[in-house]
Amino acid sequence: MSDADVLPRFVRDHRRALTLVVLLLAALTIVVTVVPGGRQTVTDVSGVITASYLASAFRLTVPIAFAAIGGIFSEKAGVINIGLEGLLIIGAFTAIVTLHFLPETTAIWVIWSAFGIAVIASAFVALLFAIVCIEFKADQVIAGLAVWLIALGLAPFASIIVWENVNSPSFVTFSTVSIPILSDLPSIGRLFVATPPVFMLIVAVPLAWYVLNRTTFGKWIEASGEDPKTLDTAGVSVRKVRYAGVVLSGVFCGIGGAGLALNVGQFVGSGETMVDGRGWIGLTAYLIGNYNPVGAFLASFLFAGLDALQIQLQQIAGYDVSSTLIGIIPYVAVVVVLAFIGRTRMPSSAGEHYESDE
Amino acid sequence: MSQTESESAAVRLDGITKRFPGVVANDDIDFTVERGTIHALVGENGAGKTTLMNVIYGLYEPTEGTVFVDGQPRAFESPRDAIDVGIGMIHQHFMLVDTMTVAENVVLGNEPTKLGGLLTDERAAVEATGDLADRYGFDIDPTERIEEISVGEQQRVEILKTLYRGADILIFDEPTAVLTPQEVEALFEVFEELIAQGKTIVFITHKLGEALSVADEISVLRDGELVGTLPAESADREELARMMVGRDVLLEVERQSSEYGEVVLETTDLTVDDDRGVRAVDGVDFTVHSGEIFGLAGVDGNGQSELIEAVTGLRLPEGGRIELHGDPITDWSRRERIEAGMSYVAEDRQKRSLVMEYDLLRNGVLGSQRLPGFSDGLQIDWGYTRQYVDDVIDEYDVRPADPGAEAVSLSGGNQQKFIVGREIERDPSLLVAAQPTRGVDIGSIEFIHNRLLDLKTEETAILLISSKLEEIQQLSDRIGVMYDGEIVAVVDPDEVSEEDLGLLMAGERPSGLDVDAARVRAGGSHE
Repeated sequence: MSDADVLPRFVRDHRRALTLVVLLLAALTIVVTVVPGGRQTVTDVSGVITASYLASAFRLTVPIAFAAIGGIFSEKAGVINIGLEGLLIIGAFTAIVTLHFLPETTAIWVIWSAFGIAVIASAFVALLFAIVCIEFKADQVIAGLAVWLIALGLAPFASIIVWENVNSPSFVTFSTVSIPILSDLPSIGRLFVATPPVFMLIVAVPLAWYVLNRTTFGKWIEASGEDPKTLDTAGVSVRKVRYAGVVLSGVFCGIGGAGLALNVGQFVGSGETMVDGRGWIGLTAYLIGNYNPVGAFLASFLFAGLDALQIQLQQIAGYDVSSTLIGIIPYVAVVVVLAFIGRTRMPSSAGEHYESDE
Repeated sequence: MSQTESESAAVRLDGITKRFPGVVANDDIDFTVERGTIHALVGENGAGKTTLMNVIYGLYEPTEGTVFVDGQPRAFESPRDAIDVGIGMIHQHFMLVDTMTVAENVVLGNEPTKLGGLLTDERAAVEATGDLADRYGFDIDPTERIEEISVGEQQRVEILKTLYRGADILIFDEPTAVLTPQEVEALFEVFEELIAQGKTIVFITHKLGEALSVADEISVLRDGELVGTLPAESADREELARMMVGRDVLLEVERQSSEYGEVVLETTDLTVDDDRGVRAVDGVDFTVHSGEIFGLAGVDGNGQSELIEAVTGLRLPEGGRIELHGDPITDWSRRERIEAGMSYVAEDRQKRSLVMEYDLLRNGVLGSQRLPGFSDGLQIDWGYTRQYVDDVIDEYDVRPADPGAEAVSLSGGNQQKFIVGREIERDPSLLVAAQPTRGVDIGSIEFIHNRLLDLKTEETAILLISSKLEEIQQLSDRIGVMYDGEIVAVVDPDEVSEEDLGLLMAGERPSGLDVDAARVRAGGSHE
């Protein structure tokens, strides 16, 4: 362990995050080296790989990273929320079903109302989950599974009632926003043209980090998950802090789910729904990131980047590999990264009920 | 400051009774603590000391009676109310969040804020903590994390926390249980400093020596009743012990220095890592002979836990050898070790030794489930087990004497007596006893000590780990002192003073004592 002492403190404290950055760079290297190999067969891939490839990776990151950040708030407060996937589904479905009942215009208030209501719906379901876990002391893992299973069944079912099909028809989507000046830059300018949820994510990551590490509320969240009794004897209500943590996870998942659906303009309820495991990946992402929103974001981005890559690989005719096999690349990567990153330090009291004395 | 001066008492309890369903924990207790004094509250486990303090601290509401603070009757609904009138409690298990810094812990729940309460003013928190520490002479860095500082320092953080909240009356629940002798000394100096600054101290202990040395007055509780309050100058140990237990207690056990038999347990260059992969035991050699008690002294966290886990088979060593009766057992399973005659009284009895939701009958078979007698190879012989458990309960005076009682319903002392009985009655050739009397009352300690000494005459080898120096000194035939993962000395209990042991445990070399490392190594693995 002697070499560990030699490393600067910053490197020691952020070893995981740095490992991730390195892995991320490795992944991008793969993109740059492997994909051009197919350049002979596909015309003009070069333009796709660089900035626009990153832009699509960012877009794919949105639901995963928001779910991850939500999961961090909930679990750091002491409530393991494995219902993130379900909350994303709720968010995605509510956003589209709201559009269905609103006038069919491209007026900007329409899409933002859909977005807001989706966030509220997801937060509300998270609140129900919190009540079940905190007041009725349900097993958090089972209750979280229930959230997922209910959402997984309910959303396509409601979809059939509304549209007579598990998949909705198409509605308006978020239009892209360009950041002045930056978006005019050559080659990387494409990165600064994106839909609002992408920009919200870019703001949410440092904000979540700041709230968790620098604010009073963040310290209460940490104490609530590490040592609720201490927080309680310090005169802060563990119940309230945990409610806040869980409801916040609902808010973030609402943003992630709505962001996903409103980018596409459609709710897809077939199979695993359009959310398709992104909530579960989000859960893995924050474990990889060791409950640090920045690390969780990087992990989400790694996955999304590989996901974007596999989509492109499938389009390249030069490789004679089953598309299903290529499709599993991101998942294999997550497993490998999780194995490399080593042990994550869970909040000591996560998953345990806390009851105030008398 | 304009309060009535008619009463000088900081705290007065008037007829406090606290009943729990089926139990009277405190029975009509009257009790006065004068301002600016140290009041010790002694009593066996289950005597109601902690319950009484929790009543003062607002964790429990008394069934009957009134608490007066500074002459005013008070009814606390929560600790918050008690804190508001200046009562602070330093819990036995520290109320600190390990992952947060000293300053963050000190201000938790009372953060100095900026931007309208949104942000913690970290600089103010660090400054306030530093100022308080300076005022009471604590050498603590407010920006360090709790998990990085020693237990003694953590305790000082707890004290700072209560002082930060404006406590005038400080209640300490068994504050010395986790400290080295030197840290205990330092704590008592802190007590003096606190008193000098006008604070009042109530401290709970079952160590009579400590009560006698620092307290102004000593109150004794037994079975929920206040037996009496004595000024410390006129009290003596025997009298206090009799008041606590209700009968005469032999405070010193007789240890016959017997001849040891052959080597039972031997480790060679044993190296073990802890959970985080940090080296916890670094090349330890020692032997335990039949008919010998080999005591391992050391402050918690110097590798003793990992060492015994390696010996008992709960943790895989990184290197070195362990031999039992000459057989290399380094990679034997738990089961093989048990079958070879190894018994284990674990440090954390609730985690390692008992299934708390099981009754005593089922707990009694734990570990023996494959031994002949207990099992025919397919199923457990409950008749035999029942007989065994009945014998343990009977002989070790476990209360309630009911094999159907769940472990969780027993007091700590009774749980421990049951475990010690279960492990000893199996007739082990090696008993590993880790903290066998931790959290156990005086009467049970005496009993357990005598059983360990009896066992020695039955030619069992005993490896004893304890953070209580008295215990190690009284029982052991040889003492190995562990510091930072190594056995830094093996000494003869009759030739070493408690002070020297304390210094060794703190990694120092006592000047008077001749323990050069070479001799130590040789002494540790002679024969």
